[in-house]
Amino acid sequence: MIDFMIAAVIAALVNVVLLAITVTTYVQNMRLIRSYYTLGLVLVATLLMIQNVVIVIFWATLYMHNSDLMKSADMISQYLFAINIVQTIGLSILLWITRR
Amino acid sequence: MFVFTVNFPVFSLDTIIPRDIFRFMDSFKGKNDSIVDPRFKMILWSIIAGTRGGINRAKILSLLANMPLNANKIATTLKLDHKTVIHHVNILTKNELIVKEEKDYGASYKLTQIMKDNQNVLVEIMERIGTK
Repeated sequence: MIDFMIAAVIAALVNVVLLAITVTTYVQNMRLIRSYYTLGLVLVATLLMIQNVVIVIFWATLYMHNSDLMKSADMISQYLFAINIVQTIGLSILLWITRR
Repeated sequence: MFVFTVNFPVFSLDTIIPRDIFRFMDSFKGKNDSIVDPRFKMILWSIIAGTRGGINRAKILSLLANMPLNANKIATTLKLDHKTVIHHVNILTKNELIVKEEKDYGASYKLTQIMKDNQNVLVEIMERIGTK
C-alpha cells in the first residue's frame, strides 16, 4: 500500500519549491516596478509558502505526538494528499505562466 | 381563493459580478482612469508585472505605441537578443496585445485596437518602472 502520508509531505515540499521559484520571479519584478500589484503578488505567494511549511510541521508534530493521533492521521492521510496534489498541479500551471 | 405569487428576483451577470468590481483600484491612481477598462488594466498588469521578462514586454509595447517596427528593429533599439524579442513578441501576439501588419517573415508589428484604447494603463505602468 502506498504511504499517503509521505506522499502528502513530498507534495507539500514540491509546493514549497514551486512557490520559492515564483516568489523569486515576483521579487525580481518588484525591485523594478514598485506598486501595490507587485507587492500583492509577493505577499500572496509568500503566504501560500508559509501555509505549506506550516502544514508539514503541523502534521509531523501530530504524527509523532502519540499513537492514537498517528492512527487518525493515517486514516485521513489520503485526503491530505489529494488536497496537496491539487495544489501542486495549480502551482505548476502558475509557475509555467510566470516563467514562460 | 388565495393566490400566492412569487416574484423571483432575476439576476443578470452584472448584478452578481458588477462591471466595476475593480473600481477600488481607482483609489490607487486616478489621473486618467475613467476611460480605461479596469479588467484590461488587470490583464496588462499581470502580463507585465507577473511574469519573468515582463519589463521588456512593457518596453516593446511602448516602443510599438509610437510606430510599427519589425522584430529586428526592436532588438537593435532595445539592445536585446533577437531570439528574446521573438519570444516576447509571440507571447504578446498570443495575448492579442499586438498584431502583425502582414503575414510576411519580416513584417512589422502594431498594437491591436483594445491595446490602443487602453494606452493610459501602459503609460501608468511605464511611469512606475521609470524607464520611459
